[in-house]
Amino acid sequence: MTPEEACLDAFQRELDYIHRTLYRLGAGTSEVDDLAQDLFLALSRAWPNYDATRPLRPYLFGIAFRIVSAHRRKGRREIAFGIVETDDGRPGPDDMLQNKQARALLLAALKQIPEPRRAVLIMRDLDDVPMDEIASVLAIPRFTAYSRLRKARRELEAAVRRMLKKVDSR
Amino acid sequence: MTLSPLPLSPEVRALLDSERVIPPVPAPVRARALSRARSALLAGGMMSAAELPMAPKIRWGAPVAAACVGSVMLAAVAYQMGAQRHSIPTDPHATPIAQVVATSPAPSVPSPPRAAAAPALVSAPASHASRPSQADAGSNELRLLRLARTAISRQDFAAALVPIGEHAHRFRDGRLAEEREALRVRALVGLGRSEEARRAADLFKARFPRSVLLPAVHGMPPAVP
Repeated sequence: MTPEEACLDAFQRELDYIHRTLYRLGAGTSEVDDLAQDLFLALSRAWPNYDATRPLRPYLFGIAFRIVSAHRRKGRREIAFGIVETDDGRPGPDDMLQNKQARALLLAALKQIPEPRRAVLIMRDLDDVPMDEIASVLAIPRFTAYSRLRKARRELEAAVRRMLKKVDSR
Repeated sequence: MTLSPLPLSPEVRALLDSERVIPPVPAPVRARALSRARSALLAGGMMSAAELPMAPKIRWGAPVAAACVGSVMLAAVAYQMGAQRHSIPTDPHATPIAQVVATSPAPSVPSPPRAAAAPALVSAPASHASRPSQADAGSNELRLLRLARTAISRQDFAAALVPIGEHAHRFRDGRLAEEREALRVRALVGLGRSEEARRAADLFKARFPRSVLLPAVHGMPPAVP
């Protein structure tokens, strides 16, 4: 298998993860396709430097995070709460914990956390990446990673509370 | 100093658990993503440094580049002003501003040899000023070829030829010329213009005899009726 084929194979294998990660990082539905393509281009360029003994997903996450951040810097706007507005309209909090609404609510809550902290929280609490690996992938000190996680969790709690309250009051 | 993170409430923990399972990407989306990835690989999958996500520590490069371009532009403007003044000789002893600028130790403008000072001043600063920076050029090149790749992945080969032509016009020997010519062959093959595709493939071979894209380029024309 050539390096190009290996890179394409990895992309294909992890496409579900890549798409989900882009959503988690705040990309909109209309943006995810293009961002995934950007990720592939970056990945194919960086592939010769990828250390195959290390797990692939944190590596992909690092690329995804930088791509989404760069995309945001270009000035495209993020629409908070955009995902949580759904067709059927009246989800109760209990339903939210068990179906797609729960995911939608979580994604919308994640969007309210600043990107650097959001990235740490996603890696730790959704992808179960060890803190050392998170610090390495995001090129930050370990203590900073912990500090960001702590803040991000507090912000997530607050965001979820606010949103559940909003849903309750409908 | 504690490193223990804040524990999460059961509600938030439940929300996070609901998001742990990664849903599969819908089949058409997957097919499109893979098709685009293959096209990019076929075309070399190149990405300029300007488009790669920048690490924070190299972000200072952009302002430095802007400062360099700015100083070159200043030199060009100063030269033009000097040239105008020179053409209206109100004061025969007046020193053209451009000469002053050219002989001053500006770091981004190489000082021309004294004997060839006048012609160099005419062409060098002006052309530098009107030419985009290397990063901009790379970015523009990539943008054009990305348009072409996107069109090709949509099977819209005629549309792909437009940015390819534009790229050839603006960046004849650009960094992505090799990728451009591979895309040209692909687009011509897609349009069924076999003879032109074959000619383009031959030109590609002659121009880039050691290209990694060569096998792909040569595999193209017979593949389409």
